[in-house]
Amino acid sequence: MAENTNNQENAVEGKKTKTIYTDEGVVVVDEEGNVVSEEGSGIESGPKPVGKIITVSELTISVLLSDVKVKYHDLLYTQHKGREIYFEVAEIEGNVVRAIPFQNVVGLKKGLDVFRANKGLEIQYNDEILGKVFNSYGQLLDENTIEKDETRDVYDRHLSLEEISLNGGILWTGIKVLDFFAPMQKGFKMGLLGGAGVGKTVLIKELIHNVYAGLKSNSVFVGIGERSREGKELYEEMKEADLLDKMSIVFGQMGENSTARSKAIFSGLTLAEYLRDEKSQDVLLFIDNIYRYVQAMSEINSELARIPIENGYPANIASAVSDVEERINSTEKGSITSFQAIYIPADDMTDQAVQTVTTHLDGQIVLDRKVAEKGLYPAVDVFNTTSKLIDIEKIGERHYTLVEETLKYYSRYQELEEIIAVLGIEELSIQDTNIFYRTRKLRNYFTQPMFVAENYTGIPGEFVDIDDILDDVEGILTGKYDEVDEGQFLFIGTINGRKSKVSAE
Amino acid sequence: MSEFVENLVNAKLRNMKAMRNIYEVGYVSKVQDYIIEVDGLEKVGFYERVVIANHSMGYITAIERNKVKVALLQRASEIYVGDEVVTTGFDFCAMYSRSEIGHVVDIFGEDRLLGEKFAELHPCDIETPPIPIMDRGIVKRPFYTGIAGIDLIYPIGYGQRQLIIGDKKTGKTQIAIDTIVNQKDRNVICIYVAINKTKKNIRELYDSLMKKGAMEYTLILAAFNDDEPPVSYFTPYAGLSIAELYMKEGHDVLVVLDDLKSHADIHREISLLAGKTPGRDAYPPDIFYTHSRMLEKGCQHANGGSITILPIVETKGGDITDYISTNIISITDGQLVLSRKNFEKGIKPAIDYGLSVSRLGGAVQDLHMKRLGATVRRKFLSYLEMKEVYQLANVDEMSLEMRESLEEGEKLQERFLQYKFSPRTPAEIQRDFEEVVGEVE
Repeated sequence: MAENTNNQENAVEGKKTKTIYTDEGVVVVDEEGNVVSEEGSGIESGPKPVGKIITVSELTISVLLSDVKVKYHDLLYTQHKGREIYFEVAEIEGNVVRAIPFQNVVGLKKGLDVFRANKGLEIQYNDEILGKVFNSYGQLLDENTIEKDETRDVYDRHLSLEEISLNGGILWTGIKVLDFFAPMQKGFKMGLLGGAGVGKTVLIKELIHNVYAGLKSNSVFVGIGERSREGKELYEEMKEADLLDKMSIVFGQMGENSTARSKAIFSGLTLAEYLRDEKSQDVLLFIDNIYRYVQAMSEINSELARIPIENGYPANIASAVSDVEERINSTEKGSITSFQAIYIPADDMTDQAVQTVTTHLDGQIVLDRKVAEKGLYPAVDVFNTTSKLIDIEKIGERHYTLVEETLKYYSRYQELEEIIAVLGIEELSIQDTNIFYRTRKLRNYFTQPMFVAENYTGIPGEFVDIDDILDDVEGILTGKYDEVDEGQFLFIGTINGRKSKVSAE
Repeated sequence: MSEFVENLVNAKLRNMKAMRNIYEVGYVSKVQDYIIEVDGLEKVGFYERVVIANHSMGYITAIERNKVKVALLQRASEIYVGDEVVTTGFDFCAMYSRSEIGHVVDIFGEDRLLGEKFAELHPCDIETPPIPIMDRGIVKRPFYTGIAGIDLIYPIGYGQRQLIIGDKKTGKTQIAIDTIVNQKDRNVICIYVAINKTKKNIRELYDSLMKKGAMEYTLILAAFNDDEPPVSYFTPYAGLSIAELYMKEGHDVLVVLDDLKSHADIHREISLLAGKTPGRDAYPPDIFYTHSRMLEKGCQHANGGSITILPIVETKGGDITDYISTNIISITDGQLVLSRKNFEKGIKPAIDYGLSVSRLGGAVQDLHMKRLGATVRRKFLSYLEMKEVYQLANVDEMSLEMRESLEEGEKLQERFLQYKFSPRTPAEIQRDFEEVVGEVE
């Protein structure tokens, strides 16, 4: 469109021009009928447009560019009925750009001018981020304000192999079944996997309660595609418990469009990186729910009419997940320890998105609907729950052998359940009878009253020490508690301090 | 007389000035069921309402380089290639009048029983922006359905989204109807959104609500299954926009969405017809967002109003782990699972107490109900599990404790039985269950 510029120069030199008032705004035309200048209605003057809208659909627009070059992740905007609608460049083909909108595009039409913002997507990068709640695009959601103006591009950080450090001691969560089967280390990435409604969010909240409140280290919570109600509750609870001042929150919840849900994680990561890199902190990062990020990417992929892989996931699913996960790491300066909830669609553990995320993890806690059905919470599937720490050298021989022994009991119990369904309990050998009853006790013992579920269960939460857990498990396995009724083990802390609802009656 | 004409002309002129590009004309180039392609509309807005051949109405679903796509909403007669398509300058929206309460209506503001439009219709946006997190309050006020199995152990609060899920003929709709009937004199506006229901279904529903005197405060917003699919698709969104209107004025609203599985199927149909890439089970990848933005309208607003939503989902073979069901379960604040087995055994309401969940639980109950509910729930669940494991064991050889809890469980089972249109007050529920488990401190 160099021609355009020429005409303008001519106009300055004094060529005759004609002004036409159209319903789109003011157009100035020279003698040959070439457009000299054009102004959209309501925009008196301002930045020069980079192009015009040529197609609109619910989640994409295409822009025909004039002589400007734009790059991937550039921010564009257009003005319509007095509001600015932002887009991010997602695809460039020749002089046509496809962009994904941040807001609703109702009313947009062909020919609207598109402008480029000065910067790409950025978020605050200074010490005022603590105690604040942001949306996916880095805007504050509550009445707080931020005075400082240091921001950073949300895509900007890549760690080199040299920077990555594997520091960190064991981090006890106080939740029996987690500390026993899947102990956590500082700098770990722990996944919490579960289908719909088996208790992922409650467990994440309990971890926030036990680990964050216990350590008092800085933390970042990223809510992606989850319930706004829970987001608000978390905010209120943190505020009430005076814990908000060490936490930054980013929400891109399920009522928001796919762009918002796909960007929340990048904004959240940038906040966590600030605390790690600039403040040299050990940061806790809670992500609820990382699956929703992949889901949002699928939606965008489909809108861009790219060919998907199975179940509609984008073909670049592995790199999309790596873009996020590779940034969650510890350096010499500070660490990021993350707990990531992972939704399992249609209860299908082999789902491509779930599998892609779990390859990045150091441990996983799997929640199972069959356990939840029996009212045993946290509804952990002990066979699939594991951690890199389950290693004689790291947790010691006693803990390691107890885990092995317990798993042996559990798997025999599964077989026995089938036998009993056919033959009845009376037919079992003494050894099997012992395994049967002791495993039922273990199963009940690994339930736990949660601090954050007190409202629901009516039982106050408990934080249990690892030494007590090992003693208790050993006691059950060796038959020390054979005489105690299995119901007595339900929703207690330790066996000796047992004071749950069940014994209170 | 001339003054009258002058006024008319002036009004028309004013309108034309206010609404830009009125009467832009294009021509139909392709008809594919209810999606038509139109050439020549250069300045039409996304979502704008258009009139086709003077008799049918649609809206713009996509603006492409050389054409636009229009989804039909109302078709009065056949549409031919070459028919004129005229833009209106208005975004497509639902029409609503406050006098619609007590009637069966559609999203265009027509009384479906009488076949006439209401006077004084107001436009009502079909999709509104999400309710900001900071405008939300905490869900904590108990919402009484009058059903013991719900109010006691899987309670609902004002602003909660509680899914009702189960096979055909397990009493899903009945639970919703019972809940609506129980709102009499509680100052709750009820909106029953029928998606893809037969006319007979809706007639029956209207009659039974009428008989119970519940139509006074109920609006039935219905899309019949012979309406154009885009209308069925929009009906639940319109229902929630109407609910939002009342909520913002501080009212409590109950919305029943019957049912979302049909809605998902309609969305799949429209998306595939529009050529979008299919995902799992051929549903489009945005199927989660389709329902999440709808159900996120359910909330306790900080201003005191609320929208409580009871979405309904139909399953096949009792499988609640299929794609659509788990998607919706992952959005709602809990699910009430109905089991065909229970229904056939005469256990009504046929609630599957093991699979049902209320994520809010005791937070939406008063202290007494909460304590009693927690006790009953725990005892009853362990009874159900015990019954399953020990079904072959000899009762006489069981420990005394175990035998007692089996007997107690059976008694609880009986107390949960409740027939339709026989609501129980919280006091009655407490009395019935305290007789079994004793008084809770």
